[in-house]
Amino acid sequence: MNKKRSGMAGIIITIIFLVILVFISNLKLSQFSYIENAFSNLIMPIQSGITFIKNKLAGNDQFFATMDVLKEENTQLKQRNIQLEESLRQLEIIQAENSTLKEYLNLTDKYKGYKTVPAYVINKDISNYSRIYVINVGTDNGVKENMTVIAAEGLVGHIISTTKDTAKVQLLIDSSNVVSSTLENSKDNVICRGTLDENTLRATYVSTDTVLTEGEKLHTSGMGGIYPKGIYIGVIKTINETKNITDRSFIVETAVDFENLEAVLVITNE
Amino acid sequence: MKKIAVITCLILSFLFIYLLQVNFFLWFNLAGIKPNLIVILVLTIGLFAGKGIGTTFGILFGISLDFFIGKSIGISGIMLGIIGFIGGYLDKNFSKDSRVTMITMITIATVIYEIGIVLLNYFIHQAQINIIYFIEVLLVELIFNAIITIIIYPIIMKLGYKMEECFKENKILTRYF
Repeated sequence: MNKKRSGMAGIIITIIFLVILVFISNLKLSQFSYIENAFSNLIMPIQSGITFIKNKLAGNDQFFATMDVLKEENTQLKQRNIQLEESLRQLEIIQAENSTLKEYLNLTDKYKGYKTVPAYVINKDISNYSRIYVINVGTDNGVKENMTVIAAEGLVGHIISTTKDTAKVQLLIDSSNVVSSTLENSKDNVICRGTLDENTLRATYVSTDTVLTEGEKLHTSGMGGIYPKGIYIGVIKTINETKNITDRSFIVETAVDFENLEAVLVITNE
Repeated sequence: MKKIAVITCLILSFLFIYLLQVNFFLWFNLAGIKPNLIVILVLTIGLFAGKGIGTTFGILFGISLDFFIGKSIGISGIMLGIIGFIGGYLDKNFSKDSRVTMITMITIATVIYEIGIVLLNYFIHQAQINIIYFIEVLLVELIFNAIITIIIYPIIMKLGYKMEECFKENKILTRYF
């Protein structure tokens, strides 16, 4: 009995220890700079006292003779340092500006043929069985129903309703969303349907003579009337081979990460 | 006067729950699956305030949900109305004073609501859903809802009896004597 109890206690202590270890290992030290400061305040006077005595004993006294020269040099160096830091800040600002401009350029370059309106996702669906986002542009910005929504990576979905300054976007992964798409190599058309699962679509109606390879790219085919032709959707992730070749299907991994989607573009010209 | 206060309180709690679902549960979720607090709210209204008021509030909240974020107007309205009605019906047959019955009732209501939503979506929007995936998500959601019910049970009872006092003043005697 006693042995059993002590074994139990050991396990509990180990678990607590592990939890504390994990907790501590995840702490950022910078959060505790005030503790560090307190410690240094406590230690530093003693440390300098010891150093002073040590210098005295070792005969390092001539150090003080050059004190004035050193002080002057120090002020000069400090000024130079300030100047350098200032220029560094300026460089950093320029660098940040450069990268954002480059991003914009890439985005608009990629979809040069389309007239687009940029938008932000402002609201996400509360249900587990549908995927609808609300974006911050509406009829005032020229956005209408059935317009295509894209992101930097590829197709996002289409607009199902609009108000004056918001619009609801039905995502590609919503279970009622269907998109006709073209395989890159064979140029065959398949139908992709949302599965609600994270970033995956299920493609069906695969022609019997189509050769499928994992990693093959899919684009929109332009059929169906909503999505324009040639927008990137994603790549083939897994192929489900069935006994009957007529009903085989495959899973597509979308290029867009819907979980972390923030900025989108709405294509306004048909 | 008291009625108006209670109704305002209900509407405010609906808005609060909506904001909670939209913001808080986007990161506080179990494997990406959110709970459904609105079903809990509407069922509670049905249970404590009766069929009529439960159904009315269910339809009202459902339609506003559809306006906020929904594919078409009415789907959540119909289902939440049904949940409110079920709440009123369950009140006559089950006791609300037990935590276990409350959890069971909320679980049943959530199952009915989600199945109804998926079926209506299937018929209206041709939304095809993988049954295995649906069951998986539903199970996690039920567990989540049950846990939340356990936590907020005292609040539900407190608000519930306030509602009962307000909406069913004359009936309270026949129930207990």
